[in-house]
Amino acid sequence: MSAAHEPPRGAKGHRPQVFDDPAVDQLYAAYVAIATELSVAFERIDTLERLLETQSGLSREAIRDYQPNESVSAERQQHRAELAERLLRPFRDFREQRIARANRLSDTGPGD
Amino acid sequence: MPAFKQHPMVPQTTHDEQARQDFVSALRGHLSGRLMPGAYQVYAARVEPAFRSKHGRGPKDEHEVRHAMTEDPYYQFWSAMQRRSQELLWESVIDPTERQLPELIDRARTLGKRGRGKRRGTLRLDPKLVVPKYHTAADIHLQPGGYHTDFTADDVAAGAVYDKGINLYMGGALGEENNLTGDTLLAYVREKHPSLKPRSILDLGCAIGNSTVVWARAFPKARVHGIDVGAPVLRYAHARAQAMGVAVDFSQQNAERTDFADGSFDLVLSHIVLHETSKSALTRVLAECRRLLKPGGLMLHLEIPRGRTDIEKFMHNWESYNNNETFSRYMTDLDLKAETIKAGFAADAVLVDEFAPKLDVAQMNYTEHFLWKILAAFKR
Ligand SMILES: C[S@@+](CC[C@H](N)C(=O)[O-])C[C@H]1O[C@@H](n2cnc3c(N)ncnc32)[C@H](O)[C@@H]1O
Repeated sequence: MSAAHEPPRGAKGHRPQVFDDPAVDQLYAAYVAIATELSVAFERIDTLERLLETQSGLSREAIRDYQPNESVSAERQQHRAELAERLLRPFRDFREQRIARANRLSDTGPGD
Repeated sequence: MPAFKQHPMVPQTTHDEQARQDFVSALRGHLSGRLMPGAYQVYAARVEPAFRSKHGRGPKDEHEVRHAMTEDPYYQFWSAMQRRSQELLWESVIDPTERQLPELIDRARTLGKRGRGKRRGTLRLDPKLVVPKYHTAADIHLQPGGYHTDFTADDVAAGAVYDKGINLYMGGALGEENNLTGDTLLAYVREKHPSLKPRSILDLGCAIGNSTVVWARAFPKARVHGIDVGAPVLRYAHARAQAMGVAVDFSQQNAERTDFADGSFDLVLSHIVLHETSKSALTRVLAECRRLLKPGGLMLHLEIPRGRTDIEKFMHNWESYNNNETFSRYMTDLDLKAETIKAGFAADAVLVDEFAPKLDVAQMNYTEHFLWKILAAFKR
């Protein structure tokens, strides 16, 4: 995205920890994101199949043997990077919150 | 469920963006309708009995319920999923909004100029307005930047994101124009005060004007004002109302103290606003409502039910602890009637009511058995 301003994707405020081990919170967060993207991918395949069915002219072999050219590869690369970003955002936010809290603690001393 | 109605200020979605929003909506429907009720079952079957055998008595208040429930794996599972679905909800509407933001800002400018005379709404912003701390401390229900943050000049993103976002939030149950809150309070007025014919109406905390427009349509002869602290939601509200051909005067003001003259309105309203303020703000808003009403005028605030039993209170307060609805939990046991009397209304002119509108659409799992709370008071 080339926008000059990039509004935050995360909300300001404390993110509550649900499980004893914060890793479990992180796994859940990633798991829901994966489920979302899986649903998106499923709908895309479904769209493709329906278009193929009605507009035909394309064989299963053509799909099997398909080789992405350079620009397609680049697009897919970009898409994977975005997926990774979606998946990993909770971990990044977690890290940033920890760092921010550590900084606050060292600013104000213990007892904050 | 009626589909969300497109209007010129709604960002278009690509195939994948739409699929993402649809999934979030489905997930939330499932979490609210199928998984959340299970938390009550788990409480009755496991958590409460375990507490009882450990302490020789049941939990004595909501806080003891909280301590017991937050240890329960089922509740934990639901809570983690619910929180995550809320985050993904905003993400799914921010993407298409950002992609089209320059066009949306242009469109808002053009729509702002449409119409003339009485048929044209107005927008008055106040760049000097201090946004209250209860908005800036944390982003309410996790919308990044809240209602008030401008990320670019003439920003309307917060409005566009909120419009689509709250529709997904309730899986479409808010109605095709997010009109459920306005319709509910209007239905209350039609039932309890059928002869009311207000000539001047003020909607406090109007956000994108979704409820304001309902009132302007219901009383076409009335002058209708909407105020909010958030500039980007108001720009969007103005453009949206203009696109719908409904004349509303929007202005950026704090409901705790507005610049309208004493006795300006027959009807002063708010829809799901009070729980997003603070204790001291609430007192000031009620006093301000009284100042703004004409003698004989009516004040109405629609609020979300907060539960009767301790487990219900605990479940309702999930939003407070996990969704940055920070103040809402303090409203659980707040005596709204006493607060209203404190603000100067006569004791026998105040009523805290409950109301369930007859729903003409299948409002799914969200508003079934949903008793809205309504604070009503006349000014003598
Ligand atoms: C949940 S939204 C309600 C939207 C709309 N009334 C509806 O019926 O859906 C709450 C709105 O109240 C506004 N608000 C909160 N405190 C306010 C205050 N002190 N003065 C003006 N607006 C306020 C917020 O900015 C937000 O737009």
